[in-house]
Amino acid sequence: MLKQRWDTIGIWAVLLFMPAPILIVAAASFSHDGYIQFPAGELSLRWYGEFLTDARWLRALLVSLGLAIAGAVLSTAAAFLAALAVTRRQSAFTRYFEVAVMTPLLFPHAALGVAMLSLLMMIGGYGTFAGLLLVHCIITLPYAYRPISVSLRKLDREMEEASMSMGARNWYTFWHVTLPLVRPGIITALLFSFILSFDEVTVTMFLVGPFITTLPVETYSFIQESGTPVVAAISTVLVVITLLLVILLERLVGLEFFVEPDRK
Amino acid sequence: MSLTDQAFKKKMHGPGREVWGRVLLLAPAMVLLGLFCVSVVQLIASSFIEEGRLSLSLYTDFFSRADYRDIFLRTIRVSMLVAALCVLLGYPVAYAMWRYKGNRSHLMILIILPWLVSIVVRTYGWMVILGPKGLINEFLAWAGLVERPVRMMFNTTGVVVGLVHILIPFMIISILSVMLHLDRRLEEASASLGARSYHTFFRVTLPLTVPGIITGTMLVYLMSTGAIVTPVLLGGVRDRMMGTQMYQEVIQTFNFQKASMLAFLLLLAGLAVVLPLQMLERKLSRFMDQRGS
Repeated sequence: MLKQRWDTIGIWAVLLFMPAPILIVAAASFSHDGYIQFPAGELSLRWYGEFLTDARWLRALLVSLGLAIAGAVLSTAAAFLAALAVTRRQSAFTRYFEVAVMTPLLFPHAALGVAMLSLLMMIGGYGTFAGLLLVHCIITLPYAYRPISVSLRKLDREMEEASMSMGARNWYTFWHVTLPLVRPGIITALLFSFILSFDEVTVTMFLVGPFITTLPVETYSFIQESGTPVVAAISTVLVVITLLLVILLERLVGLEFFVEPDRK
Repeated sequence: MSLTDQAFKKKMHGPGREVWGRVLLLAPAMVLLGLFCVSVVQLIASSFIEEGRLSLSLYTDFFSRADYRDIFLRTIRVSMLVAALCVLLGYPVAYAMWRYKGNRSHLMILIILPWLVSIVVRTYGWMVILGPKGLINEFLAWAGLVERPVRMMFNTTGVVVGLVHILIPFMIISILSVMLHLDRRLEEASASLGARSYHTFFRVTLPLTVPGIITGTMLVYLMSTGAIVTPVLLGGVRDRMMGTQMYQEVIQTFNFQKASMLAFLLLLAGLAVVLPLQMLERKLSRFMDQRGS
């Protein structure tokens, strides 16, 4: 009885606490003054108007979307190819590789930001789209690698063997047997790295230049400069894009991946 | 070697091509990892070189200044506090989610969506809640409880509140993923042998979920030491953290060497906590395997 009540309280705490700041920003974005007031002020869409008519924001939005799409595709492709090579044959090298590919996760983001800045200073690409893209690929690679390697490990090799023993060519087997079976892993990797890249700010803020910036970084600088409530409208747009992708992920493959155990 | 590998090998005409195939498959990821390694080596090296010579002066300068020491220690202190609060608040949530009978997927969205939304957005949310013209102060003023706005941000309190909310999903997800792969029968066995429910919890469930707590603590601590956006926006200029300082060195004074030195210190501060925790986790799992078998 008592336990049941605690469970309910716990659930309600999650329901209220976790999305609260996001919901409050969304509510503020529709108010005329951009702040929540008691009693409620008048409603307006003026902040959305300001967002959509300012080239500064639209350019940053386009950069963010382009970066997230290209970054997700490239790092998922790199992760998929590597996972194919590694999960097929276990050796000392592959074990080192699996540890190495996860190492960037042990880096505090601020340190990662400085490291990436020193990299771009050395090889060129500071303040360019290509430079940002390279860095986003480096930081999303571990997130793309994990779901793919999990689904490749779960893959029943006998399915491939059956296909090949019935005379199917390698490419046919790959395209019609292997690929469909690891599709959940690939979709998770794509969407997960898209979201991470689209919302990334701590590393990216070291790398943006005067000619290129992303929407989260531009929003951050804007909050520091003046911070008119147009921020609330932009935030709401960022939340809606993330929400749509999370729902897509849930519908396509489910969210169970996030609570998969680390080791088998 | 399995049947497929043999067939694969035969079709690829000999072992040489197969090895090259694997190298080609690994190439893109290896390039990315290689560049990452280069950047880390460059970072560490540049923090030890001054005017072309090997030198520790950046480090000795740093530790000889009281305000810098404060920043370093504050970062570690705040991160430990944030990690501890995330355990205390996150564990019951994970526990409730684990026992939830309905569709867990809906609860998962409530954790995962805020987790994936940009840190800027979530921090701004807390500014709207805690700020001098924010939700809480507007409410208190409207209710006639306070004369002047209560100061809830631009201090360490604001930073801790923001970081706990931003990082707690890491903790909840780490603990929940351990719980979901627990054998429910262990709890039932304990209960059927007459153990009280709190006894079952403290003697069975909690010890078995310690690995989840350890993983979550590592992640939260690391993320917290490396945070910039939340300490700047909610902490203001006074109570700075390492991330804030590094960003200032780069953006305002263009002092990359100093920023590299700070980054390396941050890395060491992270490893100093993460490596012992990892060792503990490994020991624990070996211990439980022995007890289990």
